Amino acid sequence: MRDDWLREDRLPHIYCAGCGNGTIMNCVLEAVERTGWDQKKTIFVSGIGCSSRAPGYILTDSLHTTHGRAIAFATGVKMANPSLHVVVFTGDGDLAAIGGNHFIHACRRNIDITVVCMNNHIYGMTGGQGSPTTPIGKTSTTTPYGADEAPFDLAELAIAAGANYVARWTSFHVKQLTESVLTGLNTPGFSLIEVRCQCPTSYGRRNKYREPVDYMTYLKTHAVLKEKWERTAAPGAELPADSFLVGEFVRRQRPVMGVPDEA
Amino acid sequence: MKLEIDESRCKGCNLCTMVCPYKIYRPGSRPNRRGIYVPDLDQPERCPNCRLQGLYGRRLCGVCALICPDQAIRWVPEKPFEPMKVVIEY
Amino acid sequence: MQGNIASAEGALAAGCTFFGGYPITPSTEVAEHMAARMPKIKGACFIQMEDEIASIAAIIGAAWTGARSMTATSGPGFSLMMENIGYAVMTETPCVIVNIQRGGPSTGQPTMAAQGDMMQVKFGSHGDYSIIALAPSSVQECFDLTAKAFNLADRFRTPVFLMADEVIGHMREKIEIPDSVEIVRPKTLAEGALPFAPGPDGVPGFAAFGTGRHIPVTGLTHDERGYPDTTNPARHESLVRRLFSKIEDARHDIADYAIVNDEAEYVFVCYGAPVRTVREVVERLRIPDTGYLQLRIVWPFPEDLLSRFPKVKAFIVPEMNLGMMAREIERHVSVPVIPVSKIGGDLHTPEELVEAVRVAGGLL
Repeated sequence: MRDDWLREDRLPHIYCAGCGNGTIMNCVLEAVERTGWDQKKTIFVSGIGCSSRAPGYILTDSLHTTHGRAIAFATGVKMANPSLHVVVFTGDGDLAAIGGNHFIHACRRNIDITVVCMNNHIYGMTGGQGSPTTPIGKTSTTTPYGADEAPFDLAELAIAAGANYVARWTSFHVKQLTESVLTGLNTPGFSLIEVRCQCPTSYGRRNKYREPVDYMTYLKTHAVLKEKWERTAAPGAELPADSFLVGEFVRRQRPVMGVPDEA
Repeated sequence: MKLEIDESRCKGCNLCTMVCPYKIYRPGSRPNRRGIYVPDLDQPERCPNCRLQGLYGRRLCGVCALICPDQAIRWVPEKPFEPMKVVIEY
Repeated sequence: MQGNIASAEGALAAGCTFFGGYPITPSTEVAEHMAARMPKIKGACFIQMEDEIASIAAIIGAAWTGARSMTATSGPGFSLMMENIGYAVMTETPCVIVNIQRGGPSTGQPTMAAQGDMMQVKFGSHGDYSIIALAPSSVQECFDLTAKAFNLADRFRTPVFLMADEVIGHMREKIEIPDSVEIVRPKTLAEGALPFAPGPDGVPGFAAFGTGRHIPVTGLTHDERGYPDTTNPARHESLVRRLFSKIEDARHDIADYAIVNDEAEYVFVCYGAPVRTVREVVERLRIPDTGYLQLRIVWPFPEDLLSRFPKVKAFIVPEMNLGMMAREIERHVSVPVIPVSKIGGDLHTPEELVEAVRVAGGLL
């Protein structure tokens, strides 16, 4: 049962009402449950931020590390004991800003870990500063006049750097997200599942998505399934403004590192 | 099976209300002791999991439980219907 | 054998099974030797990480799976590692960091010796904490002290530092490799015990990942279960004081030193490469009224050793920095402390030390 994996004595957790992180944690735990992995041999690693508080609520060995370095710690854990299953929870700033270097090298190495990036386009824990994925024009405490830096597309970064499995879903598409996480967990090599999620308290409040339901509605209406887009769009057509592709972007078998040898 | 919202965990975000394909929930009308407007179960008989999990042996739908950020939604076995005898004494 | 290679061999003899490193002059040979040796050892892993921050992160992660892990770096890399060193201290992770010191600050002199990181090793990361730092003065000591570092790390559950310098790292000497090295693993976490509950020596038992103890490791201030508890002043105080005193209280117990001529009036206190010059002055040239104290474990500083010299009139501290350990010694004694600072990469010459003795004699 999913509830076997939770530290009941630490709930209710610190997440705000309607936080996407809670949803994503549910989906990941559901997927981990379905892999049939031994709870004793599954390790959750995280950096710093709201996303990274999740392992503290999960009843396994976990490493809550320094900002941006979760993937480096996870590499050490996996390489020293490849029989352990390593899942990394991270956020958009933790992964792409301070942790950018470790992210691209892990993709390059194709180390056998699964990274779930909770992308809420903001630095939530510290009060709502802009992040490398804050869309242009959006307000945050460090971009009070609207963000003017072009944001990262985390999935594209991972594909270019060589990850074996890259997918993007949202916290609205819970069923597909669970399936995707399950595929990522079972794929040897580096798997990135980027999840666009809501942060009603920091991002939402400053950008007219006050209620959790508001940003979810945006995610529901503006997410375009990749297969559908490729099938139906005219060649060379641009996505409508504010829309983004979701789905499994790449699934390949590049050489991997850290997979235990079946001796 | 019966749907249960754990009032010690629910923070009243109403994501379950939005996401349910069968429109089982509706936003709460009265705050509970913690001040949270826990969603009301408007039409619980429409939940396929409640009715059919016993028959199929696996979770059907269950989107509300997956989406709830506070892990406040769960299904509990419903006590089977017990006919009770009523005695009226004059 | 070269000093760097001896250090790597000492680590392998002590059972090191994980090395995560990044090349930096003058410690690259440690990584290169590990890259050649480790793939041939079953269960050992060498990985070249993308930077020093990732190196230390990887060795901390590996240490939590129960492996003995190590990295090697120099000044600039050492500065990068500081945040995660603090993390290793806070989470009580045993690991060994070899710092082959070079001329600093900044890029400085990559190929010249110095001892400029001696204060950084103790105070480099933010917050209050204590660590163990060893200083080899010969290639044999590189081997022995690296092997010893792993035992100290496991015993106290702390990062342990080997502070060599470029001269010791790159020189070649004949060494004796023992058939086997004493290996003392950390004490295991008892059944039912909380993962961060200290034993009588202030050190909690250790349970590796994968053994089913479900340990939540975090760098936040935590309680004995490992759960974050940051807004409780009493909890933070007890945690940080325990981390500090588990090492400081043991400083006399673990002190590793050599004393020659404790009746001397002018005592050299030395560590690392200057020890060789001091030996020349005291033992071979036999300058009268001189003796020395060689510290092999520099931090935690064993100040009681300074009182082993009843007739001392002055302490002379030859260092390849502008007086870092001299400042620490000055704190503990009332006799004059004369630093002999030589930076730039050349070792102290015997004439300079003899001159220092003469000056000391003239002053007093």
